[in-house]
Amino acid sequence: MLGIDCPKPKGRWPTAPFDPRFPKQNQTRNCYQNLLDYRPCVKRMRRRGKSTQPCEYYFRVFHALCPMSWVQRWTEIKDGTFAGKI
Amino acid sequence: MTHQTHSYHMVNPSPWPLTGALSAFLMTSGLIMWFHFNSLILLALSLLTNTLTMYQWWRDIVRESTFQGHHTPTVQKGLRYGMILFILSEALFFMGFFWAFYHSSLAPTPELGGSWPPTGIHPLNPLEVPLLNTSVLLASGVSITWAHHSLMEGNRKHTLQALLITIMLGLYFTLLQASEYYETSFTISDGIYGSTFFVATGFHGLHVIIGSTFLIVCFMRQLTFHFTSNHHFGFEAAAWYWHFVDVVWLFLYISIYWWGS
Repeated sequence: MLGIDCPKPKGRWPTAPFDPRFPKQNQTRNCYQNLLDYRPCVKRMRRRGKSTQPCEYYFRVFHALCPMSWVQRWTEIKDGTFAGKI
Repeated sequence: MTHQTHSYHMVNPSPWPLTGALSAFLMTSGLIMWFHFNSLILLALSLLTNTLTMYQWWRDIVRESTFQGHHTPTVQKGLRYGMILFILSEALFFMGFFWAFYHSSLAPTPELGGSWPPTGIHPLNPLEVPLLNTSVLLASGVSITWAHHSLMEGNRKHTLQALLITIMLGLYFTLLQASEYYETSFTISDGIYGSTFFVATGFHGLHVIIGSTFLIVCFMRQLTFHFTSNHHFGFEAAAWYWHFVDVVWLFLYISIYWWGS
């Protein structure tokens, strides 16, 4: 069978939880919204001098939900052409 | 049996449907030559032949009706149905573009920044020239109603005056809209916002020009005493078309200019 010989990594690997703001099949907005929420969260925590660990939730959600190409495209734009409000 | 025993108009053979079809086909190839091979000759020829067809076909209809009396009430009823169906088809045409606009603006994609207007687009202020345009078209709706009532009451002078005011307002709208097109900070190639804005308002503007032309023809015909106080379907058709154009603008204003900003 496929994968039966692969070593299973240790620890729990939960995926993104159900978000009632995005109940339907199209989860694009779910992915995008968490991406948009991550950066300001980090900024706010840093400004208050607190740890950015709670913001890791957003990071993990959008890494779990978004296609890798989107994650790469949206996290690597550094020339000011990102369209979202951050 | 030397005369017809029904009230329909059996039209004499005419070349204009054929020249119209040929010119329309020429227009399609003309557009292709223009888009892909940078040549305007076919398009110019097609526009010329199309205009000539329209002029001569409608001139013949005026000859058959006003001068030869073939437009019985039955014929007029058919023309009414025809005009209503045509305007309905135009309404559906515009509904397509409104569908496109709402499809893109109700759920803006991440590429647009997840917002409408998209990031970087500065829409026109709906309370400036677009609001003036709305009042211009609404006023023209009032003046054309005045013209119609004057026509029905046999008041030649008022009919001419009111028709002239309607035409002037239509021209004023066109000029204002042209200047707005010049002033926008975005173009048709600026993403889906530019596409939906200019295609919808552009086709509307074209219909304003068509409607104004129709009204000018009515004005000329009224000058030369074609209309009577109870038989003036050409005028009524123009008035229906003009009201339709006004209604489309109201939808455009509320959806694209106001809600879409």
